[in-house]
Amino acid sequence: MAMRARVATAAAVLALGLPGLALAVKVGESLYVKAKNTRVMVSPSSTANAVTVLQPGQQVKWEGADPANKQWHRVTAPDGKKGFVFQTNLSTTAPDLELVADENGKKSKVNATKFAGSAAAVKALSPGAKKYGEDKGGGYEAAVKDIEALETLARKLKPKDLADHVAQAGLFPVVGPQETAGRTPKKGGP
Amino acid sequence: MGLRMAVFAAVGMGALMGPCGGLNPVTVSDGLDVAGRMTSAAVKAREACKKLDVEPAVTEEYALGGALAIHWVQRGGGLVKDDALHRYVNIVGKNLAAQSQRPTLEWTFGVLDDDTQFNAISAPGGYVFVTKRLLRELDNEGQLAGVLAHEIAHVTMKHAIHQYNATKVKTCVGVMVGEALLPPGAAAALSAGRDGDGTLDLDNNPGLLGNLAEGTIGIFDDGNAPDQEFEADQAAVQLMLSAGYDPDDFRRLIAKTTEDTTFVDHPKKTERVKKLVTFLKTLKPREGEFAGLTTEGLHSPPLKPELIAAVKGVPRSTATATKGAE
Repeated sequence: MAMRARVATAAAVLALGLPGLALAVKVGESLYVKAKNTRVMVSPSSTANAVTVLQPGQQVKWEGADPANKQWHRVTAPDGKKGFVFQTNLSTTAPDLELVADENGKKSKVNATKFAGSAAAVKALSPGAKKYGEDKGGGYEAAVKDIEALETLARKLKPKDLADHVAQAGLFPVVGPQETAGRTPKKGGP
Repeated sequence: MGLRMAVFAAVGMGALMGPCGGLNPVTVSDGLDVAGRMTSAAVKAREACKKLDVEPAVTEEYALGGALAIHWVQRGGGLVKDDALHRYVNIVGKNLAAQSQRPTLEWTFGVLDDDTQFNAISAPGGYVFVTKRLLRELDNEGQLAGVLAHEIAHVTMKHAIHQYNATKVKTCVGVMVGEALLPPGAAAALSAGRDGDGTLDLDNNPGLLGNLAEGTIGIFDDGNAPDQEFEADQAAVQLMLSAGYDPDDFRRLIAKTTEDTTFVDHPKKTERVKKLVTFLKTLKPREGEFAGLTTEGLHSPPLKPELIAAVKGVPRSTATATKGAE
């Protein structure tokens, strides 16, 4: 498909009635951090140093788009640090809350950051599911082993692996390679 | 359940129903009498069982999702034994999922060793599977991202959880009106949920888990409701834009598939494309407000050689990345 038609389709998509576009936010108001390891950069570039790294659900004050690099937006982080965040890291709506039960069975909704630090965030094939599959035997037992091996492989992949692929593929630098601020590896990108 | 073009035939369906506890919720009559009227016992049971129609805690979701994932892998002939392929699919999928409405869930992406069905399928708790056949049809990474994003959306929107809740309520009613029997432990666990806050301890009751998972699959096999498919399509293109993929790759993938007439509820692909395009035309960005998405700098990256080698029969040493539709 020609580039012009593709861009037209993408431009139309922008106005979808999507959660991130549901609320109007103006300069000076708050936005939510949407993606894991969202970096607040010293300057509007994916290869700049990060002044801080934020997690989904945290809020920043929106100071507007950078005039020269409109995909980068000036923000003030919760700790008062100022910097630049890539456009699609931010949203007008919060990520979903997860429902977690404590050791006494009491359930509560927790934000993405709190969930990430809870035991419930570590997923593996659950004991009940595993027993269910093993009891059925045959192909189900084999499926249990396949899934366990897959989960082991998937857990070994780290945000840096994602960030490296994104840089190589020319995609947006949304998910940062690390959970804390530090020098960003020089890998290119917008 | 977005892009599947044919069922997994009837593979495994006989084995899916019944062996775990003597109840197939799909066949329970909802307590209707011979004239189709609801009996007073059924009315009371339905009222009591409504308490089970609640959002499950993450651990309950993991148990259900794990059981469904086991079924999808069993039906799909197991997972492809190729770590390089799985690493690549997980990198693409996890990057999208980390920008989704459930960014901190631990997501797992797998390739089913199914060379005949063009299919992608998901399960609660963050399990997403695509068939080897589907991967063979891809032209670029954007199309892979579109398929994965569509399935991620089904999980974040909890579409299967809605089907699971319907199964819970129906099973509960069936047990209360005496139309169905569960093993004692399973019945007790269901009653505890009904009389408590509505959530179930499935990990300590694999029998109940089996019954509810298989009941959910019974509904699942009719396909998601059209509105759920449209919602997932819209969320998928949003996720693609967030990550920097050209969403038109996804539209083109839907358009090039053949029509699926097997599923009762699944919308026609022509309707999906039409609905998407129509919706897009009605919307405009607003001046002076923050826009969470952008059309500048979008890409259609080529597929990685490890995927091409695994699914297109090209030796890895000679496989080169396909040219993206830039």
